[in-house]
Amino acid sequence: MREYRIALGVAGGLLLTFGVFRLVTELDASDLLVLLVWLIAAVALHDGLIAPITVGTGIALAAVPARGRRYLQGALLVGALITVIAIPLIGRQGTQPESKAILLRDYTANLALLLGMTAALALALYVLRVLREHEPAGAPPGQDEGD
Amino acid sequence: MCFVTGMLSHYQYQPWSWLPVPASPVQAYRVTQGLHVATGVAAIPLLLVKLWSVYPNLFRWPPIRSMKHALERLSIFVLVASALVQLTTGFLNTLNWYPWPWSFPSTHRYLGYVLIGSVLLHIALKLPDIKYGLQARLADADVLTEVPWNENPLAHSNAGTVPPPVMSAMNRRGLFVAVGSGIGVIVLTTVGQTVTPLARIGLLATREASKGPQGVPVNKTAMSAQVLTLATAEDWRLEVTGPTPFTLTLDELESMRSVSEHFPLSCVEGWSVGAEWRGIPVIDLVRRAGGDASSRVEVFSLQPNGYNHSMLVGPQVGAALLATHLNGERINLDHGYPVRLIAPNRPGVLNTKWLRRIEVT
Repeated sequence: MREYRIALGVAGGLLLTFGVFRLVTELDASDLLVLLVWLIAAVALHDGLIAPITVGTGIALAAVPARGRRYLQGALLVGALITVIAIPLIGRQGTQPESKAILLRDYTANLALLLGMTAALALALYVLRVLREHEPAGAPPGQDEGD
Repeated sequence: MCFVTGMLSHYQYQPWSWLPVPASPVQAYRVTQGLHVATGVAAIPLLLVKLWSVYPNLFRWPPIRSMKHALERLSIFVLVASALVQLTTGFLNTLNWYPWPWSFPSTHRYLGYVLIGSVLLHIALKLPDIKYGLQARLADADVLTEVPWNENPLAHSNAGTVPPPVMSAMNRRGLFVAVGSGIGVIVLTTVGQTVTPLARIGLLATREASKGPQGVPVNKTAMSAQVLTLATAEDWRLEVTGPTPFTLTLDELESMRSVSEHFPLSCVEGWSVGAEWRGIPVIDLVRRAGGDASSRVEVFSLQPNGYNHSMLVGPQVGAALLATHLNGERINLDHGYPVRLIAPNRPGVLNTKWLRRIEVT
């Protein structure tokens, strides 16, 4: 175990140092400063905004009955991930010259479609779950209640 | 995978002269660069979920227990920061959007080293925890509690104590399913720019090859390359230098023997499309100039700056064409009229357009 850790650590450290060295020596001082700002801002934005919103949503979800909660969580998770990707596409839609054949689609409509499909699937799975619970064959109900 | 395919792409742009880029497989660059962008995009949802799952670690008290602890926290900062910036800027590159002052190609590569280095370092630090997690049968355990780290005899000393969670959540299996679905949907709806049959479901794909002129998108237009008058000039000539140099007029060029090949045009943003190119084999011109398949061939464009020249060495010399036709039509100005280079397993930007001169050495 110890050898692997040392080997990985050294390899990682060397690559990391090489990258930093190149960045520091090859970028203009002003560009490097902007990059540094980007790096710090990215962490601040994520840890200070994106993560708290996610955690807050999770806490708010405690109000949802346990049986349906996981389906709503799943739908929100998948929906949020898709939306993150779609936002820059929507923002830059149609901003490029035609011959590039880039960013031509109606991404807002496409996002709506994908989110709709996600919601529909989550709802369907939930309905199936409810139906299965009411089966007369004596399946033990609520086996994952409260987990 | 993202790192390796990234390095392969870099190699195409700056190969070592003693190890030339091969001409086959024809689709190689299309595959490696397609994979590079696909894995990079897939890493975005993966990173976000991973960061969410370790978010509580940010608030462990005390924040700095020792010098070693401080250094580890710093390494995590570097890892998170470089991952977020690298994936974001990489993704924006596929949108051709560059809201930053630095040069993308070089910075992306160097930040790539920083990122992969940080990842390896992180794995080295966490290896005992990883080993424990892989061995424990936690498939049905609650995501947040599983086994508290303070009961894990092999946990890394950094972990500290964890209070039990206040609410229930979907179980670990459910999380894997949800994340997997999210990544799957994202990849399937974006990869249509690389994998042509999936273009129809490419709801979030940036490029649509079928909407490009003559069936192929254009990155650098003739106007932005400032070649409009030069490329259509009456006195355009193709100069070929070498032991027996010569010059060709457009008529002479168009009457030479031409062949048809199916080569993809694959660009660094990850999109690619196959196309039928017809043109004069470069090797014919090379031989006429006194060279052969082992010569070094450098081609020059009418474009005054930017990627206005490229080098052919090794197997690509024999496989390359001076294309005059694309998908049955004479190539238009934006695609490189009067002639452009096209070769297999070669990044799009190195298939130089609006050629004016070929040097054979």
